[in-house]
Amino acid sequence: METREVIASGNDLVAMAAVDAGCRFFGGYPITPSSEIMHTISDLLPKVGGVAIQMEDEIGGVAAAVGAAMSGVRALTATSGPGMSLKAENLGLAQMAEVPVVVVDVMRGGPSTGLPTRVSQGDVRQARNPSHGDYRSITLCAGNLEECYTEVVRAFNLADRFMQPVIVLTDETIGHMHGKAVIPTADEVQKGIVPRKTFDGPPEEYLPYGVGPDEPAVLNPMFKGYRYHFTGLHHDAKGFPTEEIETCRKLIQRLEDKVMKHTDELEKNEEFMLDDFNGEEGEILIIAYGSVSLAAKEAIRTLRKEGRKAGLFRPITLWPSPAKRIRHWTDMVKNVLVVELNIRQYTEEVERVSGRLDLEGLYKVNGRAISPYEIVEKVKEVF
Amino acid sequence: MARTIMRFTGVGGQGVLLAGEIFAAAKIKLGGYGVKTATYTSQVRGGPTVVDITLDDEEIFYPYANDGEVDFMLSVANVSYNLFKNGVTEGGTIIIDPYLVHPTEEDRKKWNIVEIPIITIAKEEVGLVLTQSVIALAIANTFMKAIDPETLKEVMLSKVPKKVHEPNLKAWELGIKYAEEAIAKKDS
Repeated sequence: METREVIASGNDLVAMAAVDAGCRFFGGYPITPSSEIMHTISDLLPKVGGVAIQMEDEIGGVAAAVGAAMSGVRALTATSGPGMSLKAENLGLAQMAEVPVVVVDVMRGGPSTGLPTRVSQGDVRQARNPSHGDYRSITLCAGNLEECYTEVVRAFNLADRFMQPVIVLTDETIGHMHGKAVIPTADEVQKGIVPRKTFDGPPEEYLPYGVGPDEPAVLNPMFKGYRYHFTGLHHDAKGFPTEEIETCRKLIQRLEDKVMKHTDELEKNEEFMLDDFNGEEGEILIIAYGSVSLAAKEAIRTLRKEGRKAGLFRPITLWPSPAKRIRHWTDMVKNVLVVELNIRQYTEEVERVSGRLDLEGLYKVNGRAISPYEIVEKVKEVF
Repeated sequence: MARTIMRFTGVGGQGVLLAGEIFAAAKIKLGGYGVKTATYTSQVRGGPTVVDITLDDEEIFYPYANDGEVDFMLSVANVSYNLFKNGVTEGGTIIIDPYLVHPTEEDRKKWNIVEIPIITIAKEEVGLVLTQSVIALAIANTFMKAIDPETLKEVMLSKVPKKVHEPNLKAWELGIKYAEEAIAKKDS
């Protein structure tokens, strides 16, 4: 793959990625620490014939992006935790109506307005179910500058493949950190774009929601002669509200199965210094994601220098979780430490999929990053 | 080169961020790794701000300076000085603007505290207060010898608008001059 080297911040890379991935609409409202995404994309989009609009609030921002995505355009909104709370209702609509919108959440301290300029991973649990009802969130989590670019590109392709919102979590540390990133060229990204499916038959035969039991809706772009109905109510194959028992059941089961029967297309992990693990005593498995994994990698370097066999498992797709792979490692390794900038939000998922309740944890919720030393000290204390 | 960690502190609105970006970009241009992180408060102006700059020939993962590992700090605000001084290694150099930062006697024993009136130089000798971040950049590099000065100067010029190249070049030269004088004074 052809690559290029850029010097940028994580937030700038998110904006660049969106535009390179074919996003032509941004609707949002400025919020620390995500505002630079809006600043940068407001510069970039008009140059490629796109539109960036600052709406009256967070709700307006996501509503505009969902509307643009309904019309057939790749659309983005960006925010932080308080904005996610406000956007939840419209994200639920996008789940139900199967609208592929990408949402970037640059996490800061919460709940409520919390710590606006400080880092956190407090939105991990929220990202799993921002809104009520049954559906499966697709949530990716960038762990370095490169991934602010590559995961946003992946999010757009997954949104069109699964026809639903895709959330990309970053955080204040990665959003504002500024350095070198080696990323694919825009040409490479464009070659990899798979647009959403469309129906080419006669308009009178078009049934946008009349698809297979594990398939996403086929929503044609607007104004091309294919008429259908969007609603947040349970709906039939044409999109019109219904309370017919089997139709309602099948619809929600399909929202579940279109994701959960295809998790192999979603799973993405990094396994750092795990290749020499073989289940012998003393091995230390650290599980971390997002910016915390940067500190974990430095900690692992230090531990390895001191003769401790440590490695990192990092989920990049957080939801659905990489259940089998987590189970593989937690079955093999006795000493497991989960490190998070929240209190046990992903640990509980690791407990669930591993079936283990003896995991060690290192958590921090004061808006400050977890340093490599704190991880090293914790490892020495508990293992 | 071993890892170099520098810290610039001030208050929001003083422009301490730019110097960090220039350092990181210059190191990357020379084939190494450079990362800048900024921490600030929710006060837009007037809140304590800290910029950490990490430069290394090897890949940098964790982007913040660990407390006790900062080799060099520059401070132009007392509130930030007090908040962030303890990150500096014992014996490390701290440049302060003596009109704005007031270290204790204990501080002076613990660290190599050097007084350079950065803001006054920017205001009175350059005539443009905004150039303080370039003065700071030149001082930091003269003390730390972190980056080839010509490369750093080129990158600096590429990051500031053309119409202010002249005052920024002047600021750059003054920064070097004051830093060299301070080093000579200490050595004598």
